[in-house]
Amino acid sequence: MGSLQSTLIQLLQGFKFTFGIFFFTLIFSIPLGLLVSKGRMSKIKIVSLIFQLYISILRGTPLMLQLLLVYFGPYYIFGVNLGSIQLGPFNYRFIATIVAFSLNYAAYFAEIFRGGIQSMSKGQYEAATVLGFSKMQTYFKIILPQVVKRVLPSVSNEIITLVKDTSLAQVLSVTEMFTKASAAASAQVSVIPFIVAGAFYYVTNLIIEQILNRVEKSMSYYS
Amino acid sequence: MPETKRDVVLEINKVYKSFDDLEVLKGITMEVKRGEVVAVIGPSGGGKSTLLRCATTLEKVDAGKIVIGGDVLCEDGVYCDKKLEKQIRSKFGLVFQNFNLFPHFSVRRNITEALIHVHKKSKEESEIICSQLLAKMDLTEKADAYPCNLSGGQQQRVSIARALATNPEIIFFDEPTSALDPELTKGVLNVIKELAKEKMTMVIVTHEMSFARDVADRIIFMDGGVIVEEGPAYELVTNPKQERTKAFLAGY
Repeated sequence: MGSLQSTLIQLLQGFKFTFGIFFFTLIFSIPLGLLVSKGRMSKIKIVSLIFQLYISILRGTPLMLQLLLVYFGPYYIFGVNLGSIQLGPFNYRFIATIVAFSLNYAAYFAEIFRGGIQSMSKGQYEAATVLGFSKMQTYFKIILPQVVKRVLPSVSNEIITLVKDTSLAQVLSVTEMFTKASAAASAQVSVIPFIVAGAFYYVTNLIIEQILNRVEKSMSYYS
Repeated sequence: MPETKRDVVLEINKVYKSFDDLEVLKGITMEVKRGEVVAVIGPSGGGKSTLLRCATTLEKVDAGKIVIGGDVLCEDGVYCDKKLEKQIRSKFGLVFQNFNLFPHFSVRRNITEALIHVHKKSKEESEIICSQLLAKMDLTEKADAYPCNLSGGQQQRVSIARALATNPEIIFFDEPTSALDPELTKGVLNVIKELAKEKMTMVIVTHEMSFARDVADRIIFMDGGVIVEEGPAYELVTNPKQERTKAFLAGY
Protein backbone atom coordinates (compact mmCIF):
# COMPACT_ATOMS: atom_id res chain seq x y z
CA MET A 1 0.00 0.00 0.00
CA GLY A 2 2.95 2.28 -0.60
CA SER A 3 0.97 4.19 -3.20
CA LEU A 4 -1.83 5.09 -0.79
CA GLN A 5 0.70 6.35 1.70
CA SER A 6 2.45 8.47 -0.89
CA THR A 7 -0.92 9.72 -2.11
CA LEU A 8 -1.77 10.80 1.43
CA ILE A 9 1.54 12.59 1.79
CA GLN A 10 1.11 14.39 -1.52
CA LEU A 11 -2.44 15.42 -0.72
CA LEU A 12 -1.44 16.66 2.70
CA GLN A 13 1.24 18.81 1.08
CA GLY A 14 -1.45 20.16 -1.21
CA PHE A 15 -3.80 20.68 1.71
CA LYS A 16 -1.46 23.32 3.13
CA PHE A 17 -2.19 25.46 0.08
CA THR A 18 -5.86 24.60 0.07
CA PHE A 19 -6.14 25.72 3.66
CA GLY A 20 -4.00 28.78 2.93
CA ILE A 21 -6.30 29.90 0.12
CA PHE A 22 -9.32 29.27 2.34
CA PHE A 23 -7.89 31.08 5.34
CA PHE A 24 -6.54 34.17 3.60
CA THR A 25 -9.60 34.54 1.42
CA LEU A 26 -11.81 34.65 4.51
CA ILE A 27 -9.50 37.09 6.29
CA PHE A 28 -9.58 39.50 3.36
CA SER A 29 -12.98 39.01 1.80
CA ILE A 30 -15.10 39.49 4.92
CA PRO A 31 -13.85 43.01 5.79
CA LEU A 32 -13.75 43.84 2.09
CA GLY A 33 -17.32 42.60 1.74
CA LEU A 34 -18.36 44.84 4.62
CA LEU A 35 -16.80 47.82 2.84
CA VAL A 36 -18.39 46.90 -0.49
CA SER A 37 -21.80 46.58 1.19
CA LYS A 38 -21.29 50.04 2.70
CA GLY A 39 -20.44 51.39 -0.75
CA ARG A 40 -23.40 49.63 -2.28
CA MET A 41 -25.68 51.26 0.30
CA SER A 42 -24.13 54.70 -0.14
CA LYS A 43 -26.59 57.55 -0.49
CA ILE A 44 -24.35 59.00 -3.19
CA LYS A 45 -25.84 57.57 -6.38
CA ILE A 46 -22.62 57.24 -8.34
CA VAL A 47 -20.79 55.46 -5.51
CA SER A 48 -23.66 53.05 -5.08
CA LEU A 49 -23.72 52.41 -8.83
CA ILE A 50 -20.00 51.66 -8.98
CA PHE A 51 -20.28 49.08 -6.23
CA GLN A 52 -23.40 47.63 -7.80
CA LEU A 53 -21.43 47.16 -11.00
CA TYR A 54 -18.56 45.58 -9.08
CA ILE A 55 -20.89 43.09 -7.44
CA SER A 56 -22.69 42.38 -10.70
CA ILE A 57 -19.51 41.62 -12.63
CA LEU A 58 -17.78 39.60 -9.91
CA ARG A 59 -20.87 37.47 -9.35
CA GLY A 60 -21.77 37.28 -13.03
CA THR A 61 -18.53 35.86 -14.41
CA PRO A 62 -16.73 32.60 -13.62
CA LEU A 63 -14.28 32.64 -10.74
CA MET A 64 -11.92 30.62 -12.92
CA LEU A 65 -11.89 33.42 -15.48
CA GLN A 66 -11.25 35.97 -12.73
CA LEU A 67 -8.32 33.91 -11.50
CA LEU A 68 -6.77 33.87 -14.96
CA LEU A 69 -7.41 37.58 -15.42
CA VAL A 70 -5.79 38.55 -12.13
CA TYR A 71 -2.82 36.32 -12.87
CA PHE A 72 -2.20 37.17 -16.51
CA GLY A 73 -3.83 40.60 -16.66
CA PRO A 74 -0.94 42.69 -15.37
CA TYR A 75 1.43 41.26 -17.99
CA TYR A 76 -0.87 40.96 -21.00
CA ILE A 77 -2.65 44.27 -20.49
CA PHE A 78 0.02 46.48 -18.92
CA GLY A 79 3.19 44.61 -19.78
CA VAL A 80 4.09 44.48 -16.11
CA ASN A 81 5.83 41.30 -15.10
CA LEU A 82 4.97 40.43 -11.54
CA GLY A 83 6.02 36.81 -11.86
CA SER A 84 9.05 37.22 -9.66
CA ILE A 85 7.16 38.70 -6.72
CA GLN A 86 7.60 36.82 -3.48
CA LEU A 87 5.94 37.80 -0.21
CA GLY A 88 7.54 35.67 2.48
CA PRO A 89 6.65 32.09 1.59
CA PHE A 90 4.05 33.18 -0.98
CA ASN A 91 4.82 33.40 -4.68
CA TYR A 92 2.93 35.39 -7.27
CA ARG A 93 0.70 32.47 -8.21
CA PHE A 94 -0.53 32.15 -4.69
CA ILE A 95 -0.94 35.89 -4.19
CA ALA A 96 -2.93 36.22 -7.43
CA THR A 97 -5.15 33.37 -6.26
CA ILE A 98 -5.85 35.08 -2.94
CA VAL A 99 -6.54 38.40 -4.69
CA ALA A 100 -9.00 36.87 -7.14
CA PHE A 101 -10.75 34.79 -4.49
CA SER A 102 -11.01 37.72 -2.09
CA LEU A 103 -12.43 40.06 -4.72
CA ASN A 104 -14.93 37.43 -5.77
CA TYR A 105 -16.06 36.38 -2.32
CA ALA A 106 -16.27 39.99 -1.15
CA ALA A 107 -19.00 40.52 -3.77
CA TYR A 108 -21.06 37.67 -2.35
CA PHE A 109 -20.43 38.65 1.26
CA ALA A 110 -21.33 42.26 0.47
CA GLU A 111 -24.82 41.27 -0.63
CA ILE A 112 -25.29 39.03 2.39
CA PHE A 113 -24.20 41.82 4.72
CA ARG A 114 -26.41 44.31 2.93
CA GLY A 115 -29.38 42.03 3.46
CA GLY A 116 -28.51 41.73 7.14
CA ILE A 117 -27.95 45.44 7.68
CA GLN A 118 -31.11 46.45 5.84
CA SER A 119 -33.17 43.98 7.82
CA MET A 120 -32.39 45.89 11.01
CA SER A 121 -35.30 47.99 12.17
CA LYS A 122 -34.96 51.75 12.07
CA GLY A 123 -35.97 51.74 15.72
CA GLN A 124 -32.63 50.27 16.77
CA TYR A 125 -30.79 53.20 15.22
CA GLU A 126 -33.24 55.67 16.69
CA ALA A 127 -33.05 54.23 20.19
CA ALA A 128 -29.25 54.35 20.00
CA THR A 129 -29.26 57.92 18.66
CA VAL A 130 -31.56 59.20 21.37
CA LEU A 131 -29.45 57.52 24.06
CA GLY A 132 -26.49 59.48 22.76
CA PHE A 133 -24.43 56.72 21.15
CA SER A 134 -22.13 57.93 18.40
CA LYS A 135 -22.44 56.53 14.88
CA MET A 136 -19.46 54.24 15.46
CA GLN A 137 -20.80 53.00 18.79
CA THR A 138 -24.21 52.39 17.27
CA TYR A 139 -22.68 50.42 14.42
CA PHE A 140 -20.28 48.30 16.43
CA LYS A 141 -22.28 47.82 19.65
CA ILE A 142 -25.86 47.73 18.48
CA ILE A 143 -26.11 46.95 14.78
CA LEU A 144 -23.18 44.70 13.83
CA PRO A 145 -23.66 42.09 16.60
CA GLN A 146 -27.27 41.64 15.55
CA VAL A 147 -26.33 41.55 11.87
CA VAL A 148 -23.75 38.83 12.53
CA LYS A 149 -26.44 36.64 14.01
CA ARG A 150 -28.78 37.24 11.11
CA VAL A 151 -26.26 36.60 8.34
CA LEU A 152 -24.49 33.64 9.89
CA PRO A 153 -26.49 30.93 8.07
CA SER A 154 -25.82 32.56 4.68
CA VAL A 155 -22.19 33.23 5.53
CA SER A 156 -21.81 29.58 6.55
CA ASN A 157 -22.97 28.58 3.09
CA GLU A 158 -20.29 30.73 1.49
CA ILE A 159 -17.58 29.44 3.81
CA ILE A 160 -18.38 25.85 2.95
CA THR A 161 -18.51 26.64 -0.76
CA LEU A 162 -15.15 28.35 -0.44
CA VAL A 163 -13.49 25.17 0.82
CA LYS A 164 -14.53 23.42 -2.38
CA ASP A 165 -13.84 26.40 -4.65
CA THR A 166 -10.18 26.37 -3.63
CA SER A 167 -9.82 23.57 -6.17
CA LEU A 168 -10.21 26.19 -8.92
CA ALA A 169 -6.71 27.42 -8.10
CA GLN A 170 -5.65 24.47 -10.23
CA VAL A 171 -5.91 26.70 -13.32
CA LEU A 172 -2.99 28.74 -12.00
CA SER A 173 -1.05 25.57 -11.21
CA VAL A 174 -1.12 26.34 -7.52
CA THR A 175 -0.15 23.04 -5.96
CA GLU A 176 -3.23 22.81 -3.79
CA MET A 177 -4.88 19.54 -2.93
CA PHE A 178 -6.94 19.12 -6.07
CA THR A 179 -3.94 19.72 -8.35
CA LYS A 180 -2.04 17.11 -6.38
CA ALA A 181 -4.93 14.67 -6.58
CA SER A 182 -5.19 15.06 -10.37
CA ALA A 183 -1.47 14.48 -10.75
CA ALA A 184 -1.53 11.43 -8.51
CA ALA A 185 -4.58 10.03 -10.29
CA SER A 186 -2.99 10.17 -13.71
CA ALA A 187 0.35 8.87 -12.42
CA GLN A 188 -1.31 5.89 -10.73
CA VAL A 189 -4.06 5.44 -13.32
CA SER A 190 -6.50 5.24 -10.42
CA VAL A 191 -9.42 7.14 -8.95
CA ILE A 192 -8.25 6.50 -5.40
CA PRO A 193 -6.50 9.91 -5.13
CA PHE A 194 -9.76 11.63 -6.08
CA ILE A 195 -11.68 9.68 -3.49
CA VAL A 196 -9.12 10.48 -0.82
CA ALA A 197 -9.19 14.16 -1.83
CA GLY A 198 -12.99 14.07 -1.63
CA ALA A 199 -12.72 12.68 1.89
CA PHE A 200 -10.34 15.50 2.83
CA TYR A 201 -12.73 18.15 1.55
CA TYR A 202 -15.64 16.53 3.29
CA VAL A 203 -13.93 16.13 6.65
CA THR A 204 -12.71 19.73 6.48
CA ASN A 205 -16.24 20.93 5.88
CA LEU A 206 -17.61 18.65 8.57
CA ILE A 207 -15.31 20.31 11.08
CA ILE A 208 -16.19 23.79 9.81
CA GLU A 209 -19.88 22.92 10.03
CA GLN A 210 -19.50 21.88 13.66
CA ILE A 211 -17.67 25.10 14.51
CA LEU A 212 -20.30 27.23 12.76
CA ASN A 213 -23.10 25.37 14.51
CA ARG A 214 -21.47 26.15 17.81
CA VAL A 215 -21.09 29.80 16.96
CA GLU A 216 -24.74 29.92 15.93
CA LYS A 217 -25.77 28.27 19.16
CA SER A 218 -23.74 30.74 21.19
CA MET A 219 -25.89 33.50 19.73
CA SER A 220 -29.22 31.79 20.25
CA TYR A 221 -29.77 33.31 23.68
CA TYR A 222 -31.90 36.01 22.09
CA SER A 223 -34.24 36.21 19.14
CA MET B 1 -31.33 88.84 29.77
CA PRO B 2 -31.53 85.08 29.06
CA GLU B 3 -33.83 84.42 26.17
CA THR B 4 -35.00 81.15 27.66
CA LYS B 5 -36.99 80.88 30.82
CA ARG B 6 -35.57 78.66 33.53
CA ASP B 7 -38.76 76.91 34.46
CA VAL B 8 -39.50 75.99 30.87
CA VAL B 9 -37.97 72.65 29.93
CA LEU B 10 -39.27 72.46 26.39
CA GLU B 11 -40.03 75.34 24.11
CA ILE B 12 -41.30 74.80 20.59
CA ASN B 13 -41.90 77.88 18.53
CA LYS B 14 -43.57 78.06 15.11
CA VAL B 15 -42.23 74.72 13.98
CA TYR B 16 -42.88 73.63 10.41
CA LYS B 17 -42.12 70.24 8.90
CA SER B 18 -42.92 68.73 5.51
CA PHE B 19 -42.26 65.34 4.00
CA ASP B 20 -41.89 66.05 0.30
CA ASP B 21 -45.14 67.80 -0.60
CA LEU B 22 -46.97 66.84 2.55
CA GLU B 23 -46.91 69.50 5.24
CA VAL B 24 -47.19 67.66 8.54
CA LEU B 25 -46.51 70.43 11.04
CA LYS B 26 -47.89 73.85 10.23
CA GLY B 27 -46.48 76.19 12.80
CA ILE B 28 -46.62 74.43 16.15
CA THR B 29 -45.95 76.50 19.26
CA MET B 30 -45.97 74.98 22.73
CA GLU B 31 -44.19 75.07 26.05
CA VAL B 32 -43.68 72.54 28.80
CA LYS B 33 -42.80 73.77 32.28
CA ARG B 34 -40.68 71.89 34.76
CA GLY B 35 -42.71 69.22 36.52
CA GLU B 36 -45.55 69.49 34.09
CA VAL B 37 -47.22 66.51 32.40
CA VAL B 38 -48.57 67.30 28.96
CA ALA B 39 -50.60 64.83 26.93
CA VAL B 40 -50.80 65.22 23.18
CA ILE B 41 -53.90 63.69 21.66
CA GLY B 42 -55.51 63.69 18.26
CA PRO B 43 -56.28 61.51 15.25
CA SER B 44 -53.61 59.50 13.49
CA GLY B 45 -51.81 61.49 10.84
CA GLY B 46 -52.43 64.70 12.74
CA GLY B 47 -48.73 65.30 13.36
CA LYS B 48 -48.40 64.19 17.01
CA SER B 49 -45.67 61.66 16.42
CA THR B 50 -43.82 63.91 14.00
CA LEU B 51 -43.83 66.67 16.59
CA LEU B 52 -42.34 64.28 19.12
CA ARG B 53 -39.76 63.07 16.64
CA CYS B 54 -38.74 66.64 15.86
CA ALA B 55 -38.40 67.42 19.56
CA THR B 56 -36.20 64.35 20.04
CA THR B 57 -33.86 65.08 17.09
CA LEU B 58 -35.08 62.10 15.07
CA GLU B 59 -36.51 64.43 12.44
CA LYS B 60 -35.23 67.81 11.39
CA VAL B 61 -37.67 70.70 11.28
CA ASP B 62 -37.86 72.97 8.22
CA ALA B 63 -38.45 76.14 10.18
CA GLY B 64 -38.99 77.25 13.75
CA LYS B 65 -37.23 77.01 17.06
CA ILE B 66 -36.79 74.23 19.59
CA VAL B 67 -35.23 74.78 23.01
CA ILE B 68 -34.66 71.89 25.41
CA GLY B 69 -33.44 72.47 28.95
CA GLY B 70 -32.26 75.95 28.01
CA ASP B 71 -30.19 74.79 25.05
CA VAL B 72 -31.25 75.90 21.60
CA LEU B 73 -31.49 72.84 19.36
CA CYS B 74 -32.54 74.83 16.35
CA GLU B 75 -33.59 78.33 15.47
CA ASP B 76 -35.23 79.36 12.19
CA GLY B 77 -34.68 75.78 11.11
CA VAL B 78 -30.90 76.05 11.56
CA TYR B 79 -29.48 73.40 13.86
CA CYS B 80 -26.83 73.75 16.53
CA ASP B 81 -23.47 71.99 16.18
CA LYS B 82 -23.08 68.26 16.79
CA LYS B 83 -21.50 68.75 20.18
CA LEU B 84 -24.40 70.72 21.58
CA GLU B 85 -26.85 68.36 19.91
CA LYS B 86 -25.24 65.48 21.78
CA GLN B 87 -25.45 67.44 25.01
CA ILE B 88 -29.13 68.15 24.35
CA ARG B 89 -29.75 64.45 23.77
CA SER B 90 -28.61 63.75 27.30
CA LYS B 91 -31.31 66.09 28.59
CA PHE B 92 -34.28 64.08 27.41
CA GLY B 93 -35.41 60.50 27.23
CA LEU B 94 -37.69 58.90 24.68
CA VAL B 95 -39.95 55.91 25.13
CA PHE B 96 -41.03 54.32 21.86
CA GLN B 97 -44.31 52.70 20.97
CA ASN B 98 -42.57 49.42 20.13
CA PHE B 99 -39.95 49.67 22.89
CA ASN B 100 -36.87 49.34 20.66
CA LEU B 101 -34.90 47.58 23.34
CA PHE B 102 -31.58 46.11 22.23
CA PRO B 103 -32.42 42.41 21.88
CA HIS B 104 -28.83 41.18 22.21
CA PHE B 105 -28.33 42.93 25.55
CA SER B 106 -29.67 41.76 28.89
CA VAL B 107 -32.14 44.03 30.68
CA ARG B 108 -29.30 45.30 32.85
CA ARG B 109 -27.08 46.09 29.89
CA ASN B 110 -29.92 47.81 28.04
CA ILE B 111 -30.05 50.23 30.94
CA THR B 112 -26.37 50.58 31.78
CA GLU B 113 -24.80 50.65 28.31
CA ALA B 114 -25.42 54.35 27.66
CA LEU B 115 -24.50 55.26 31.23
CA ILE B 116 -21.11 53.61 30.85
CA HIS B 117 -20.26 54.42 27.25
CA VAL B 118 -22.00 57.76 26.70
CA HIS B 119 -22.12 59.29 30.16
CA LYS B 120 -18.81 57.73 31.22
CA LYS B 121 -20.05 56.56 34.57
CA SER B 122 -18.30 53.66 36.29
CA LYS B 123 -19.73 50.18 35.94
CA GLU B 124 -20.48 50.04 39.67
CA GLU B 125 -22.33 53.34 39.69
CA SER B 126 -24.26 52.40 36.56
CA GLU B 127 -25.36 49.12 38.10
CA ILE B 128 -26.54 50.84 41.24
CA ILE B 129 -28.65 53.22 39.14
CA CYS B 130 -29.93 50.23 37.18
CA SER B 131 -30.92 48.26 40.29
CA GLN B 132 -32.78 51.23 41.72
CA LEU B 133 -34.71 51.73 38.49
CA LEU B 134 -35.53 48.06 38.14
CA ALA B 135 -36.81 47.99 41.71
CA LYS B 136 -39.00 50.95 40.89
CA MET B 137 -40.31 49.18 37.79
CA ASP B 138 -40.89 46.01 39.81
CA LEU B 139 -38.47 44.13 37.55
CA THR B 140 -35.60 43.38 39.92
CA GLU B 141 -35.65 39.67 39.19
CA LYS B 142 -35.47 40.32 35.43
CA ALA B 143 -32.10 42.08 35.44
CA ASP B 144 -30.34 39.22 33.66
CA ALA B 145 -33.20 38.30 31.36
CA TYR B 146 -33.23 39.19 27.67
CA PRO B 147 -36.00 41.32 26.15
CA CYS B 148 -37.35 38.38 24.12
CA ASN B 149 -38.22 36.62 27.37
CA LEU B 150 -40.27 39.50 28.74
CA SER B 151 -43.90 40.42 28.18
CA GLY B 152 -44.64 43.58 26.21
CA GLY B 153 -45.51 45.41 29.41
CA GLN B 154 -42.25 44.39 31.04
CA GLN B 155 -40.32 45.41 27.94
CA GLN B 156 -41.95 48.80 27.98
CA ARG B 157 -41.10 49.24 31.64
CA VAL B 158 -37.49 48.35 30.88
CA SER B 159 -37.48 50.95 28.14
CA ILE B 160 -38.86 53.53 30.57
CA ALA B 161 -36.07 52.59 32.99
CA ARG B 162 -33.57 52.95 30.15
CA ALA B 163 -34.91 56.43 29.37
CA LEU B 164 -34.80 57.41 33.05
CA ALA B 165 -31.29 56.07 33.67
CA THR B 166 -29.49 59.13 32.36
CA ASN B 167 -31.53 61.35 34.67
CA PRO B 168 -33.12 63.43 31.91
CA GLU B 169 -34.96 66.70 32.47
CA ILE B 170 -37.88 65.58 30.35
CA ILE B 171 -39.22 62.31 29.03
CA PHE B 172 -41.18 61.92 25.82
CA PHE B 173 -43.55 59.00 25.36
CA ASP B 174 -44.66 58.08 21.86
CA GLU B 175 -47.89 56.12 22.30
CA PRO B 176 -46.28 53.98 25.01
CA THR B 177 -49.19 51.56 25.33
CA SER B 178 -50.41 51.25 21.76
CA ALA B 179 -48.61 47.92 21.28
CA LEU B 180 -49.97 46.44 24.51
CA ASP B 181 -53.14 44.66 25.51
CA PRO B 182 -55.36 46.36 28.17
CA GLU B 183 -53.95 44.28 31.01
CA LEU B 184 -50.33 45.19 30.26
CA THR B 185 -51.31 48.76 29.47
CA LYS B 186 -52.38 49.22 33.07
CA GLY B 187 -48.96 48.34 34.43
CA VAL B 188 -47.20 50.78 32.13
CA LEU B 189 -49.67 53.57 32.82
CA ASN B 190 -49.22 53.04 36.56
CA VAL B 191 -45.48 53.53 36.17
CA ILE B 192 -46.09 56.78 34.30
CA LYS B 193 -48.55 57.87 37.00
CA GLU B 194 -45.88 57.28 39.61
CA LEU B 195 -43.45 59.41 37.64
CA ALA B 196 -46.07 62.16 37.42
CA LYS B 197 -46.40 62.10 41.22
CA GLU B 198 -42.64 62.54 41.47
CA LYS B 199 -42.99 65.65 39.30
CA MET B 200 -41.14 64.22 36.34
CA THR B 201 -41.58 66.49 33.33
CA MET B 202 -43.29 64.47 30.62
CA VAL B 203 -44.83 64.80 27.18
CA ILE B 204 -47.05 61.87 26.34
CA VAL B 205 -48.56 61.17 22.95
CA THR B 206 -51.44 58.87 23.73
CA HIS B 207 -54.80 57.50 22.73
CA GLU B 208 -55.67 56.65 26.35
CA MET B 209 -58.13 59.44 26.93
CA SER B 210 -59.06 58.70 30.54
CA PHE B 211 -55.39 58.33 31.40
CA ALA B 212 -54.61 61.68 29.78
CA ARG B 213 -57.47 63.29 31.66
CA ASP B 214 -56.38 61.89 35.02
CA VAL B 215 -52.63 62.15 34.81
CA ALA B 216 -51.82 65.08 32.55
CA ASP B 217 -51.87 68.65 33.77
CA ARG B 218 -52.54 69.89 30.30
CA ILE B 219 -53.78 68.37 27.06
CA ILE B 220 -52.92 69.47 23.57
CA PHE B 221 -55.28 68.38 20.81
CA MET B 222 -53.60 68.24 17.42
CA ASP B 223 -55.13 67.70 14.03
CA GLY B 224 -54.07 68.54 10.51
CA GLY B 225 -50.64 69.70 11.63
CA VAL B 226 -51.87 72.39 13.98
CA ILE B 227 -52.78 72.64 17.64
CA VAL B 228 -56.55 72.86 17.50
CA GLU B 229 -57.10 73.29 21.20
CA GLU B 230 -55.19 73.11 24.44
CA GLY B 231 -56.08 73.51 28.05
CA PRO B 232 -56.20 71.95 31.51
CA ALA B 233 -56.63 68.21 31.07
CA TYR B 234 -59.91 67.67 32.82
CA GLU B 235 -61.53 70.69 31.27
CA LEU B 236 -60.46 69.86 27.72
CA VAL B 237 -61.73 66.31 27.92
CA THR B 238 -65.02 67.08 29.64
CA ASN B 239 -65.77 70.40 28.05
CA PRO B 240 -63.99 70.89 24.71
CA LYS B 241 -64.52 74.23 23.01
CA GLN B 242 -63.71 73.43 19.38
CA GLU B 243 -66.05 71.42 17.18
CA ARG B 244 -63.14 69.33 15.90
CA THR B 245 -62.14 68.40 19.44
CA LYS B 246 -65.71 67.54 20.35
CA ALA B 247 -66.03 65.28 17.33
CA PHE B 248 -62.76 63.52 18.14
CA LEU B 249 -63.57 62.99 21.80
CA ALA B 250 -67.05 61.76 20.98
CA GLY B 251 -65.35 58.70 19.48
CA TYR B 252 -64.11 57.65 22.96
